[in-house]
Amino acid sequence: MPSFKQARRPLANVSIWGTTYIHKRNPYIVALWSATFPGFGHLLINKYVRGYFLIIWEIFINQSSRLNLAMSYTFTGDIEIAKSVINVNVIYMYIPLYIYSIWDSYRACVELNNLYILAENEPSPVKALIVKPFEINYLDKRSPIIASLWSMSIPSTGQLYLNQFVSAFFTLVVTVVFVYQSHFIEGIHYLLLGDVHHSTAVLDRQWIFYLPSIYFYGIYESYVNAIENNKLFKAEQKMFLKEKFPVKGFKFKGAKVK
Amino acid sequence: MQIFAAFEQSIQLELAITNIQKLGIDNIYAVPLDSGPEDIQLLDTINRSDGLSLSSVGMVLAVFCSVIGAARGFDHQWGPIVWGIIGAIFGLLVGFIGKMVFYKVKMKKIRWVKGKQPDIILIIECADHEGQRVEKMLWEHAAIGVGKAVDA
Repeated sequence: MPSFKQARRPLANVSIWGTTYIHKRNPYIVALWSATFPGFGHLLINKYVRGYFLIIWEIFINQSSRLNLAMSYTFTGDIEIAKSVINVNVIYMYIPLYIYSIWDSYRACVELNNLYILAENEPSPVKALIVKPFEINYLDKRSPIIASLWSMSIPSTGQLYLNQFVSAFFTLVVTVVFVYQSHFIEGIHYLLLGDVHHSTAVLDRQWIFYLPSIYFYGIYESYVNAIENNKLFKAEQKMFLKEKFPVKGFKFKGAKVK
Repeated sequence: MQIFAAFEQSIQLELAITNIQKLGIDNIYAVPLDSGPEDIQLLDTINRSDGLSLSSVGMVLAVFCSVIGAARGFDHQWGPIVWGIIGAIFGLLVGFIGKMVFYKVKMKKIRWVKGKQPDIILIIECADHEGQRVEKMLWEHAAIGVGKAVDA
């Protein structure tokens, strides 16, 4: 029998850029997130490069085809305006990749779930503490409620709390662009002053529709990742305790229960 | 004497072990507990979300409803921001209530778990005169329960 020094399928990686951990997920939820915004499903299953690629692509094609604008006019019943704003030259490229991202995230999620089942009982050691010149990462318990509350303020703070560095950086850049271009804060400002008409007028009808998905995704992702982060912490600690303090040669000395 | 302590897993647990070792006590045993396979909680806690979370479908519905609400809001009195938020809350509630009904109807045999769950039983073997100090140490580091077995 060959002996493997390391696990054949290590499930987790702790680095200064973040903690990545394969675990069981519901593929339907992953697919649904891909439907809200291509790429989000992939981010949920930690396929970040693919996810960022799809997100950047979606923003580019949505902007050049003015899809959000057309969608918003469709919902208000102004079909003729919707038809006139959309860029026919670009829009048909949207459809295949949109569906692909849903299908691909579903497929990848199912495959990762299978790999998780195979590797679940293999002990794969992860480092509990990483110290590098510019950053530190370690396994510890984090509160999912606190993580999602921070994400409600501005997406990326929840991820930062969980030390998901790359994820937080990307989310922050995208959020700032969306919030700035949509004039969302300006809209809230006038809304709070009671001037609803002005508030509506100032909002950008193309950019504003990115906001619900980026906000709720941030809340959901940081919430779920906090929980999974805690599970990884517990798994690693249990492994350590089993090895370091095994119940060997222990004899109970108390009185028998009568 | 033998001291038994139940702990929730945390860094505190390891601090307790380290501090007890500093007292010169080396007979420490740890028994990790596995949680029952059928344990389900209505709302996820710090320790678990098993794809049964009430929030997951609600969050996606919140996005969809918020987008539709905001779009319709451009034509309505309260504007897109208010209608977007109303849409989001509506979506969340529909997802939440839908799942709750699903659990109540489909899964009647679930054993619902509440409160703190012990993850580890720590056993410390020490001389009788050290017992009090060890016990104090355990309580200081957030033990859920501590019990003693005096030599019979």
